[in-house]
Amino acid sequence: MCIRCEISRRSLLMGGGAAAASLATGVAQARILPKNMVPLIGPGFRPTETDEIGLWGLMDRVEEEVSGSNLLIKDASIVAYLQHIIGRVGGPAARDMRIYLAHVPDFNAMMFPSGFAVVFSGLLLRMRNEAQLAGVIAHESGHFLRRHLIRSWRDMKRKSDIFAIGAMAAGIGGGAAGIYMGDYVQLAQLATILSLFQYSRAMEAEADAMGARLIAEAGYAPMEMATVWEQLIGEMNASARYRRKYRERGSLFDTHPSPESRMADLRISANEVTVPGKVYDAGHERYLKTIAPIRQMLLEDQVKLNDPGGSQYLLNTLALDGWDGTLRYYEGEVWRLRNRVGDEDRAAQSYAVAVAYPDAPPEAWRSHGLELIKQGRSGEGKAALGRYLKMKPTAPDAPFIRQMIS
Amino acid sequence: MRRSGIALVSIIGVALSGCVQTRQFADVQFTPPQGDYRLLVMRPDVAVNALTTGGMAQPRADWTEQARENIIQALRTEQAGRGGKVLILSKRNELPGIGADEVADLERLNYAVAQSIALHKYSGAALPTKFGKGLDYTLGEDAVSFGRRTGYDYALFVHAEDNIASTGRTALQVIGVAGCFVGFCAPSGGSNQFAYASLVDLRTGEVVWFNVLATGSQLPGVTFGDIRKPEGADQMVERLLGRMKPGREVREAMEKH
Repeated sequence: MCIRCEISRRSLLMGGGAAAASLATGVAQARILPKNMVPLIGPGFRPTETDEIGLWGLMDRVEEEVSGSNLLIKDASIVAYLQHIIGRVGGPAARDMRIYLAHVPDFNAMMFPSGFAVVFSGLLLRMRNEAQLAGVIAHESGHFLRRHLIRSWRDMKRKSDIFAIGAMAAGIGGGAAGIYMGDYVQLAQLATILSLFQYSRAMEAEADAMGARLIAEAGYAPMEMATVWEQLIGEMNASARYRRKYRERGSLFDTHPSPESRMADLRISANEVTVPGKVYDAGHERYLKTIAPIRQMLLEDQVKLNDPGGSQYLLNTLALDGWDGTLRYYEGEVWRLRNRVGDEDRAAQSYAVAVAYPDAPPEAWRSHGLELIKQGRSGEGKAALGRYLKMKPTAPDAPFIRQMIS
Repeated sequence: MRRSGIALVSIIGVALSGCVQTRQFADVQFTPPQGDYRLLVMRPDVAVNALTTGGMAQPRADWTEQARENIIQALRTEQAGRGGKVLILSKRNELPGIGADEVADLERLNYAVAQSIALHKYSGAALPTKFGKGLDYTLGEDAVSFGRRTGYDYALFVHAEDNIASTGRTALQVIGVAGCFVGFCAPSGGSNQFAYASLVDLRTGEVVWFNVLATGSQLPGVTFGDIRKPEGADQMVERLLGRMKPGREVREAMEKH
């Protein structure tokens, strides 16, 4: 139920030739039509069958752990905002679903079978407006509304039963598909759930189609969902290109075709659910205003991932809506941390540009000042450092900086 | 003749592979609590699953609930025989003056330490720095502070899991073993249990005693208790906690006298 589940090499090896080949060569499935995506559950849904009751019981324990995890970002206004969005795009289950924000700098979100979702902080960084975020959340709602987890669980059970009887070999059904879960293990610490996270590509396609329909109904621009994928593909490519160029080792799945086909399908679906003449909202301003308290932290997390290709792409994408002091400062940080020939000059330029914006973060003034001193412009440099101290007098490094300029 | 000989050997092998195993470690100076002590049993983490034909563990809410009650009752009975004062938590918010979050933190900390004990004491990745030191792990100051504020001497963490073979699974096992007679032996695992307990001395924060219990058999129909029933839960708790051995130094001192 994660928005971005990548198939690992191990599962490819174990998953059997035919299925794997179709993944690797990108055999397209027929597109699922948004109009056919009817929610399978109503408001206040509770399970009635033994297997689903059992799963929900387990999930209650997981939710207890997730909701109490110290990895969660508990900023009340942002959590309320996410809850508000799931309330808008959650269809009939809008009031039943819960949403948690985990501090993990990755692009991911996942829905659990009992109706709670976990969104990674890296997702918030990548979204350019509320419509994009709503698109991802609507996709996750789609999983819950279409009862994907219990359906795939039953499918897996049936297949493993058949397999066990046919091959007389046991225990293979469970852990065959190792799916990338980011820091999920750390989050929930219950290994059992990992074996539950296996969804067919058909279900992901259903969730995409359902999501497109849900955000259109909520008045968001449906095309934004496809744009999310376009951004993700761009980022993955930029990140891979950078790494491949300087390292021989390339992964078999760097150019995995699946996001491309999902994007293509989403574009068609978006056109289908768009009502001509209707005005759709992207909610750009509202979105940026809401995440403002944590945006710098999100950028800080990203540049420290040591993924200059991905980080640069991301900054440039966010800057399509306009550069600001914070984005310029982190552009400089990406250069500085990459630290190849010429990078320091590039970083210095970025810092210099950053401080020209009224919203430049205090750290931009510090970096700008230090670069100026290195260039021999010590008077200007000290002035910039003074500006830093004035903006952030209690910074951990304030005593050192004071000593430098005294 | 030869074929049935192989079958016989295989069956003995299969039969031997089913067993009850426990393996405990203790702090070298550990003495099992006796007499006037105060023990806090943290909320037992219980799970009962149905084992599907294909070998997947399907969680069962009703069985789990039943088993949790049985395990709690069995713990109460077992501890009554030792003479200490015992409180068994069934929720995280039952301690006066201690929030559910703090209890959860302690449980998670214990979980992390237990993972480490499992890796370095049970999975073979022994640490040279801990060689010959018995059980040398601690939950640290947080546990001491927790003990001071609650007034308990020990905290006991219990995890109990029972996977019950479905009819289909049992049938698969029967076929697998029967296959041995025609030279195609494919035994598969049936009902099995896994449990562990860790005892923390809240006066020092140290994990003083740790035990792991595993039962299981590849022979169809063979089980080692069923924690959905009170007798089964008693049996598991007895196997897990009943034979607590003192630490090495304490044992050696006892042998000298």
